[in-house]
Amino acid sequence: MIKITIDNREIEVKPGTNVLQAALDNGIDIPHLCYHPELVPSGGCRMCLVEVEGRPNPVPSCGLQAAEGMVIHTRTEQVEAMRRDIIDLFVSDHPLNCVVCDKNGACALQKYAYEYNVAETSFDFELSRTLYQDDNPFFIRDHQYCILCGKCVRVCDEVVGAHAIDFSQRGFVTYIATPFDVPLAESSCVFCGSCVQVCPTAALLPRNKIGKGREWELERTRTVCGYCGVGCSLEYALKDGEIIYAQGFADAPVNGEFLCVKGRFGWDFAKQPDRLTQPLVRKDLAYELGLTDEPWELPETSVLKSKPKAENYIPVSWEQAIDITATKLADIIRQHGGNAVAGLASARCTNEENYIFQKFMRVGVGTNSIDHCARL
Amino acid sequence: MSVLIRIGMSTSDIAAGAEATYQALESAVRHRQLPVTLKRTGSLGVSHREPVVEVVENGQSTLYGPVTPERVRPLLDQHFGAGHRGVSEDWVISRRNDRSDYPFLGLQTKVTTKLCGVIDPYSLDDYLAHDGYEAFKKALKMSPEAVVQAIKDSKLRGRGGAGFPTGIKWELLRKSPGSPKYLICNADEGDPGAFMDRATIEGDPHKLLEGMLIAAYATGASRGYIYVRAEYPLAINVLRNAIRQAREYGVLGQNILGTGMDFDIVIKEGAGAFVCGEETALMHSIEGKRGMPRMRPPYPAQSGLWGKPSNINNVETLASISSIILNGPDWYAGLGTEKSGGTKAFALAGAIQRSGLVEVPIGTPLRRLIYDIGGGCANGRELKAVQLGGPSGGCIPAHLIDTIIDYDELRATGAIMGSGGMIVLDDTVSMVNIAHYFLSFTQDESCGKCVPCRVGTRKMLNILARILHGQGVMEDIDRLERLCHTVGKGSLCGLGQTAPNPVLTTLRYFRHEYEQAIANRQNGHEAALAA
Ligand SMILES: Cc1cc2nc3c(=O)[nH]c(=O)nc-3n(C[C@H](O)[C@H](O)[C@H](O)COP(=O)(O)O)c2cc1C
Ligand code: SF4
Ligand code: SF4
Ligand code: SF4
Ligand code: FES
Repeated sequence: MIKITIDNREIEVKPGTNVLQAALDNGIDIPHLCYHPELVPSGGCRMCLVEVEGRPNPVPSCGLQAAEGMVIHTRTEQVEAMRRDIIDLFVSDHPLNCVVCDKNGACALQKYAYEYNVAETSFDFELSRTLYQDDNPFFIRDHQYCILCGKCVRVCDEVVGAHAIDFSQRGFVTYIATPFDVPLAESSCVFCGSCVQVCPTAALLPRNKIGKGREWELERTRTVCGYCGVGCSLEYALKDGEIIYAQGFADAPVNGEFLCVKGRFGWDFAKQPDRLTQPLVRKDLAYELGLTDEPWELPETSVLKSKPKAENYIPVSWEQAIDITATKLADIIRQHGGNAVAGLASARCTNEENYIFQKFMRVGVGTNSIDHCARL
Repeated sequence: MSVLIRIGMSTSDIAAGAEATYQALESAVRHRQLPVTLKRTGSLGVSHREPVVEVVENGQSTLYGPVTPERVRPLLDQHFGAGHRGVSEDWVISRRNDRSDYPFLGLQTKVTTKLCGVIDPYSLDDYLAHDGYEAFKKALKMSPEAVVQAIKDSKLRGRGGAGFPTGIKWELLRKSPGSPKYLICNADEGDPGAFMDRATIEGDPHKLLEGMLIAAYATGASRGYIYVRAEYPLAINVLRNAIRQAREYGVLGQNILGTGMDFDIVIKEGAGAFVCGEETALMHSIEGKRGMPRMRPPYPAQSGLWGKPSNINNVETLASISSIILNGPDWYAGLGTEKSGGTKAFALAGAIQRSGLVEVPIGTPLRRLIYDIGGGCANGRELKAVQLGGPSGGCIPAHLIDTIIDYDELRATGAIMGSGGMIVLDDTVSMVNIAHYFLSFTQDESCGKCVPCRVGTRKMLNILARILHGQGVMEDIDRLERLCHTVGKGSLCGLGQTAPNPVLTTLRYFRHEYEQAIANRQNGHEAALAA
């Protein structure tokens, strides 16, 4: 461990830590817009400038490695004035539409403009870009809100490995683009939405979120994604019980903030009317088991071949369903032997669940006919 | 008795029409079966008299220019006994071998450009005949440490602009663990109006290659890159040819001259971004990424190209090396000042009588360069200021004309040595306009990564435009100064950090012009109100 002093507080940090992270870990807030702990620091926003004793010029703390004995001041008159100027420059090229903005309350630029009391720019207001891109079903890109922090580019390169976007053009009109401005679907984008996750402003927004409520009006529910065995944690933002959008959260043990396209955008099944929410027993079996008094027969064309119709089934409890399955399975094994049964496991279960399943099939049922849906 | 005729065929000569002159010369020589050896050379740097033709007869050299195709015939007539008719003394630049009759040339001290305009850049033999690759062979007999020490002792400082001592940079690479090590030559030359590096490559490419070889030997680098802007097709062609020749000659490739040393050079063409001259952006560009600077540390010597230890030097820096090794570090250090050795080439342009490429010792007073060599302002106008260092540099006012050309002395004025652009401004020029011009360049060329540079320079530019269009207010000057500070101290790389210099220096020395421009507007306004 090495000792450094930030704002007259001595703290101990692991060698290799950057000063910004060291400060944040110790509850000292240094303003920052382009830093993300999972990404290589880029030093673009210049909000995290600090003064280091013995150095003539301010240094970005996100790119400054802590060194033994370093003495750092984060709130000197000089760097506070520069920060204020930098926010002033940011808002000279960013619509202050906060009252109608979907990022209101969650926008990092808004937060700092508030903290530094910058209500509007003292320079001339001039938007460098007004491009609005709505080229895919998942998220929009509204460039007038973009502050070019580059987090989307870095997450796409460093975490996702898709390299779908980069800075394009130079000077004031620089913007984030796919190669040759092709639509995202024609780029190498996999629509994981990691860029949307890390964007500090309203430049990247889940399409479903737009106009659906301000951040503080939304309830949060954390859960585990049901799509696959990885078990990513995610958080649904809800309003009146409806999902508005899904996002990752930093302390999720498996996946951190990052999700795939299914977890992040593929939750619309939740409210579909034909979603299966409880076990069902087909009516002929239900009659045979005495669960209904109404006799019913399989039609000529097997229900197995056509889409199951809800009216051909009756709902039962999980206990009943498991009971029925167990009895029937036991009957088959008794009459025809274990080899008459085959098991098909699912990639949506965890490794442990799949392990128990095959154990059950081999030892309990007595068959080696076990397979898995992920076998392609 | 054969006569040697040299004709400058660099990019600037060609732009002045040298191709047609060459053709006229060649066909006349062929037709008349004259005993002439025609040699195409690089540029002598006499831009104000191009195309330039040198005739060497009985060891006596006469320099002519501008030589248009129509002037070829009378010129040849004069030299080959067909009379003097039609030749004007105005065509003669110099009749003396030492050029003492033409101060533009006579007062220079040429080191890196010594053979430019003298040898054929496509001929290895010509280079070898002028001690070519002797310095490299001499270095091979020294230890690498001794070579590094010699460069340190020479007091050579990087000619790319920042002036970092070259020997120290080499030592850092030498001591840095890891392999392979890369040596990169920065031939991006992005400053508008600068063409020293282009002229050096086009005139004497092997001198650069030899410097790189010595650097590779001293630092342990095994791979070389020359990053040259694509707008320099002739320089690239000359370099390609020179690299091929050097491979055949056995000084590039594996087991060089039987010493076990491996070193080869690849040319990488840039795509025309000024910021790609910045070393970290340049390395990204070579790697095939977007040329954007990154934070340092890590410095190139620790983690450079492809994450390996690397060193980047400017063309002129590397082209100085062979002379230092051959003539000794003391000779080189002795040319310059206490802290900085050698010579520096400048592209002298603007309102000057004699424009062109000029090489002078470090420590030369600006006055000597502008007046004695350049002949002062054109059309008898008054000197107002000298703009040095391109868009990252600043304006030195006429009253500081006795400032010497030295990294620290120039920095004290607010300007910088820079890479060698020197623009002479006369009394017709508006300094606010000059600041606007240079800032509009940097503003356009900002890579867009950091906000002080990307947005800050834009705001500064808008304020300058407002003042120029008679719409400025006095508070604009305070705003400008505030922005200069935030952009200069807050930007990530040298581009943004130096972008305010043209504004800062003009505000420092010509503040009244800003105030005047604003006051004029306010007076006009009040007059309008009163009317
Ligand atoms: C915006 C910018 C542009 C630059 N352009 C050039 C250039 O065109 N040529 C050059 O040699 N150095 C240029 N430099 C300086 C290089 O980054 C680097 O310092 C230099 O090549 C090192 O070589 P030296 O030590 O031999 O001077 C530039 C620097 C900046 C910040
Ligand atoms: S959605 Fe994922 S793959 Fe597509 S641009 Fe964003 S981060 Fe890259
Ligand atoms: S889109 Fe968002 S994350 Fe990407 S650069 Fe702009 S503000 Fe940053
Ligand atoms: S100072 Fe300008 S050129 Fe340099 S990194 Fe920042 S935006 Fe890019
Ligand atoms: S957080 Fe350090 S520069 Fe943006």
